[in-house]
Amino acid sequence: MFAIQTNKLSKYYGAHLGIKDVSLEVKEGEVFGFIGPNGAGKSTFIRALLGLLIPTSGSGKMLGLDIETQGHLIRESIGYLPSEVHYYDEMSSRELLEYHSKFYGEVNHAEIERLAEHFELDLDKLITDLSFGNKKKCAIIQSVLHNPKLLILDEPTSGLDPLMQNRFFELLEEQNKKGVTIFFSSHILSEIQRMCDKAAVIRKGEITAIEDINALMKKQMKKVRFVFGEKPKDLVLPEGVQNEHWHNLKLTFEYVGPIHILIDWMATLDLADAVLEEPDLESIFMNYYER
Amino acid sequence: MNKNLYTKELKRNRKNLITWSLIVVGFTLMILAIFPSMAEMGEDIAKMTDKLPEEITKAMGMDAQTWTSSIGFYSTYYGIYIILLLGIFTTSTGATIISKEEKDGTSEFLMTKPISRKTIFDSKMASLLTLTLIIYFIQTLTAIIGFLIFGGGNVDWSAFAIMHVHGLGLIAFFTTTGVLLSMFFKPKKNFMGIVVGIIFGSYFLNAISKATDSVEWLGYLSPFHYLEFNVLDSDYSVSWISLLVLLTLGGVILKFSFSVYSKKDING
Repeated sequence: MFAIQTNKLSKYYGAHLGIKDVSLEVKEGEVFGFIGPNGAGKSTFIRALLGLLIPTSGSGKMLGLDIETQGHLIRESIGYLPSEVHYYDEMSSRELLEYHSKFYGEVNHAEIERLAEHFELDLDKLITDLSFGNKKKCAIIQSVLHNPKLLILDEPTSGLDPLMQNRFFELLEEQNKKGVTIFFSSHILSEIQRMCDKAAVIRKGEITAIEDINALMKKQMKKVRFVFGEKPKDLVLPEGVQNEHWHNLKLTFEYVGPIHILIDWMATLDLADAVLEEPDLESIFMNYYER
Repeated sequence: MNKNLYTKELKRNRKNLITWSLIVVGFTLMILAIFPSMAEMGEDIAKMTDKLPEEITKAMGMDAQTWTSSIGFYSTYYGIYIILLLGIFTTSTGATIISKEEKDGTSEFLMTKPISRKTIFDSKMASLLTLTLIIYFIQTLTAIIGFLIFGGGNVDWSAFAIMHVHGLGLIAFFTTTGVLLSMFFKPKKNFMGIVVGIIFGSYFLNAISKATDSVEWLGYLSPFHYLEFNVLDSDYSVSWISLLVLLTLGGVILKFSFSVYSKKDING
């Protein structure tokens, strides 16, 4: 069974395009990234999944249930973390989390306390007095409090300081170990690289690529930098070397091909230093962005 | 219906309910407290009223007896001001009970909970009905107590009851129009202006039609035309058919409002 499965899901706001023909499959237990620039349709897709928007055409299922007709049953098992948190100003975080919990059953006071301590959130402050980051912490706690099977995160780290971002990622890893599927929407690639097994790229409302993150990183080129002891004469570059640049004794290039050929070749050279680097995901995905 | 949402909705409206109850209770007691002194001057005022143009007295629902019978005196105020005060609270609550969440962005929180839009709508309507009935009964009870203190003994309780049944019908109807309004309009501040306009407007539509024969048809557009407050009429009785029609219409309005709500896009 798929945690999320959509079939040509489209949403138009009048004539204005939100998303078009989005077909995605997210397996249970997967951490799935959803990447795209601002305004690409990430939130529209998520809102359609959650039943906040009524799709114009196409269909979708989450945890085997139809998103349009069985939404209330699906939402029993879903934790949602919105990019912008809007809560009832007159409530305290504690009241809000209790109100939230009662929609799912009993209130687990101990768990509320534990998570609030973990994220250093003052439960008795009114929502209206909370900073953006603190509201976000409350929203993080809210998203996992009822033991969801699927977490839907829309730009989850905005407003969190680096320390809290780390704690948040730890929480996600902990959740994923328990078998929770995570759908992680972001425009920050390093986050996707850190968390996700697979990612889809969305641009102007359409999916432009779905890639396995590890395979993508492996398949791709290496960035290579050599420093020679003295400038070699008649240097023959092996196949797969591209974009080479000389700077005094320094040679930089990109290499695409079997790694042992590169290493064998390196052994024949008089090198003072060598650096082999993975390109970051950013430069890989820039292709998709720019298309 | 969802109990968690229902009770939270009651709690969230508690302050408004208390404020408006105090206003309505104060106003009701004030009117009834004035009556004994009015009754003393009754005959003089009655003479004065006779001199006013007939159109005006008709439109205001006054006649000579208005000033000498406690129920007659009360009915002229009940028929517009108390209905208006109760209506402002219930109708604007009806208009905001759903739309406030959309305005504040909290509908995203609510609608990602494991409940359907139908459940949300039903629970909110149940809270709205509860709030309406609470303030209505508080006012009715206050009026009964007021009559016992200031009414001077001979109170026409059956006319009182008929009048209050009509009042409930009107308030309930206006409340449903508030819910409908909120599906289409998004005022910057609140619905107060529109609500006062609707209730006052429909009152005056009826008043004008009574005063001027040539525009009598205007009255048919006003709910006030169907549920009267002229308690001194010898055959004053509950207009069951009007009540039934108005409440059915209210039901249709709610049903239509829900069908709009169920297809609504909730944007962030």
